Amino acid sequence: MEIKLHDIGEGMTQAELIHYFVKPGDKINADDPLVEVQTDKMTAEIPSPASGIVKELMIEPGATIAVGTTIMLIEAVNSTKSREPNTRAVKEFATKSSDVKKIDTEINKTKRILASPYTRKIARDHQISIEMIDGSGPGGRISDEDIYSAIKAEKIQTNQTPARTEEVIKEKQSSIPYSGIRRKIGNKVTQSLFTVPHCTHFEEVDVTELLQFKEQLKKEGKNISATIFFIKALGVCLREFPVFNSSLDEKNELIVLHPAIHIGLATDTADGLLVPVLKNISQKSFRALQEEMREIQQKAKDKALSMADLTGSTFTVSNAGPLGGSIGATPILNYPESALMAFHKIKKRPMVNAKDEIVIRSMMNISMTYDHRIIDGGSAVMFTNRFAELIEQPISMMVELT
Amino acid sequence: MVVGEIAEEKDVVVIGGGPGGYQAAIRAAQLGRKVTLIEKENVGGVCLFTGCIPSKLFAEAGKKRSSLNSLSRLGIAVREDSFDLSVLQSTKQKVIAQLQSGIEKLIHENRIERIKGSAYFLANDRIGVESGHTFSIFRFSSAIIAAGCSIAGTKESEDHRLLDYESIYALQEVPKHLAVIGDDYLALEAASSFQQLGAKVTLVVEKEDFHFEASINKELKRIFKKRNIKMHFNQKVQQIDSNEEEIKIVLEGEDGQTSSLLASHMVKAASREPNSFHLGADRLKMKTGKNGHILINDACQTSIEGIYAVGDITEGPALAVKAIKQGKVAAEVIAGCSAEYDGRFLPLILHTNPPVSSCGLTEDEAKEMYKNSRTASFPLAALGISAVTGNREGMVTVIIDEATDVLLGLHAIGEGAVELAASSVLALEMAGRTEDLTFGLYAHPSVSEGLLEAVEALTGKSIHLAAGQSKINV
Repeated sequence: MEIKLHDIGEGMTQAELIHYFVKPGDKINADDPLVEVQTDKMTAEIPSPASGIVKELMIEPGATIAVGTTIMLIEAVNSTKSREPNTRAVKEFATKSSDVKKIDTEINKTKRILASPYTRKIARDHQISIEMIDGSGPGGRISDEDIYSAIKAEKIQTNQTPARTEEVIKEKQSSIPYSGIRRKIGNKVTQSLFTVPHCTHFEEVDVTELLQFKEQLKKEGKNISATIFFIKALGVCLREFPVFNSSLDEKNELIVLHPAIHIGLATDTADGLLVPVLKNISQKSFRALQEEMREIQQKAKDKALSMADLTGSTFTVSNAGPLGGSIGATPILNYPESALMAFHKIKKRPMVNAKDEIVIRSMMNISMTYDHRIIDGGSAVMFTNRFAELIEQPISMMVELT
Repeated sequence: MVVGEIAEEKDVVVIGGGPGGYQAAIRAAQLGRKVTLIEKENVGGVCLFTGCIPSKLFAEAGKKRSSLNSLSRLGIAVREDSFDLSVLQSTKQKVIAQLQSGIEKLIHENRIERIKGSAYFLANDRIGVESGHTFSIFRFSSAIIAAGCSIAGTKESEDHRLLDYESIYALQEVPKHLAVIGDDYLALEAASSFQQLGAKVTLVVEKEDFHFEASINKELKRIFKKRNIKMHFNQKVQQIDSNEEEIKIVLEGEDGQTSSLLASHMVKAASREPNSFHLGADRLKMKTGKNGHILINDACQTSIEGIYAVGDITEGPALAVKAIKQGKVAAEVIAGCSAEYDGRFLPLILHTNPPVSSCGLTEDEAKEMYKNSRTASFPLAALGISAVTGNREGMVTVIIDEATDVLLGLHAIGEGAVELAASSVLALEMAGRTEDLTFGLYAHPSVSEGLLEAVEALTGKSIHLAAGQSKINV
């Protein structure tokens, strides 16, 4: 049975083979994970469709393979423990012909096993492929001794496996493999930074009113996180400044303005950075978005994100606040998007109000990165000003919502 | 017929009671499995009822009859040479009945459940058995299919003079002139036996020669010729016209020239098809070959887990020797043993008079596959035993790989050739080399000395070949 890389999500055409969970000779049950593959945005495990024994691994870990490529061979288990007859079956099914005479010649043409039937049985009893043994006797005759040393060699190999694993673990302590999601992230940010002239500016936003509003809603049993307010506010800004919701198609000399607003949520996971997407945020209620975000974050935690969950964003936000984070950053664009906004930690700070009084306000810094080829600093400042305005007077945002 | 009854639980179910099936059943029982044998007729199969046993009985009769001429040299007078086919036929029935009851007894003694009926697979682990008006369903842990082949379609003609190799051994009278079409073991055995039982025999072969080792072909042709068996090579049967008196067989030679052969009877192989369809193998999507033969691996496993197949229903030569071995292999694999079927050194046997056994490579095949092979032949006439018995026909041919002295092929024609096959198979399976055959001591006088002398002849050391006469072909 061939295990192939199948289409595990929309538009996926290739994947990198990260890791095998099995090795040749392993017994496996249906649904046991066989192999981990990595696409641009996610890792997936391919489960076994049936019980059997792993015959052969066809692809080296680290290789990138197309959908449809055979990854490994599995043979279905037969009723007699762990013999290996089905590969032989495959072999014979492939060569056998119904022509009797032809079969006879084919038998004659295959390599003759120069060993007595008794010796051959010793090999079979120990699951040694006698075809693979070079006989040490005259004329290549295979002796019992040849079989026993092959059995011994196999045992030594098996015993050595744990030691080898230990060595690998030790190695891992001093060097982490740069592969999988880590490498994908690396490639992606490199491409983005090398392609797009980045520019980042910082702004501080007074979120005191927003937090009060949020608190009030909470009292009424409606728990909406600050991030949803930010996203909704961005929805308003992006409609007013559509170039921030665009991509530059340099080849066709076009700035493609996206009609819908899909917000990518940069999410820190155990595997690294993932960007699940909240789709059509303008058309959804606060409560719907809140629910959707909760689901998507749970999926990220459970490593259950699908390809559909991870594609299609037009603008990305990065919420560093909950991480207890920084006061500013220079985020790299989620290429080919034209802009990205990062929210930093909310902190009470002494501020000077209109009456020149020092008041305690809840302040949040934001970092705004944009593609300087299509967006100038002036527009970016206008964009963040508008965003700050909506957040500072959350009631005014209501007027703008569609 | 009530379907949907609760399936009865069975352990090992064997379908077919021919040599492959009953031996599989007994072996599985010996290894502690609970066995159910399903056969729609009597146990014994084609081998017992219409194949091996009847044809070998006829060969025996032919051999005995032809030996009568040589009895006078021993002082034994034979008053009259008469042959009554009806007696032979009744002996055949007795032999069959005797062997059949022997098998039944073995089945019983091995506590094998015997069910009469036709089987049909319903699922990968279930089989239905129809017996008269009852229909039962069994769920099995393992199944061995040993259901063989059936003669395909309806008989071409109702003409009782157009025979196949089953019906010919049911004849009530010896044909005046038997035309044998073909060159397989069935054809050659029929030609030999019926000639010796009094028929005029003409053999029609499509190819230019027989398909055995060249030295065997040559000796066999010489002997057949001496027996007045007419042989036509390179001849295709183009047309068969029969009238009340005779059968006219129109032959076409290689050059396109036609000739006709007049005979009283004609025999040729019936086309046989595997019974896989009747068993519902297609319903299970079991892998089959082009002609419906079930595909198996060397553990006799089909493409479906838990189902095994042995004998004529699988690919390869339709020989009882193969079915017997495969039946045992399947049973052993089911019982958890690491058995294997390897047909490489399947001995090819002809119960002609004299008989032939052939195992391993022919000289031509060896030349093709090995850089340096060496062949030597030893005529049995040069042995002391031949002078004693008066059976002076035949020879032993051995082929080795010069580089390693490993035996590649052993072929024999002559009295005792069939029993010699045991040595041939053993020597080849043991990967024997020349010294392995010359080291041991051979009974004297005996036909087996022919094997020894043939191996010795490889190095010019055959005692009974005149100096320089040791035929060494390099």
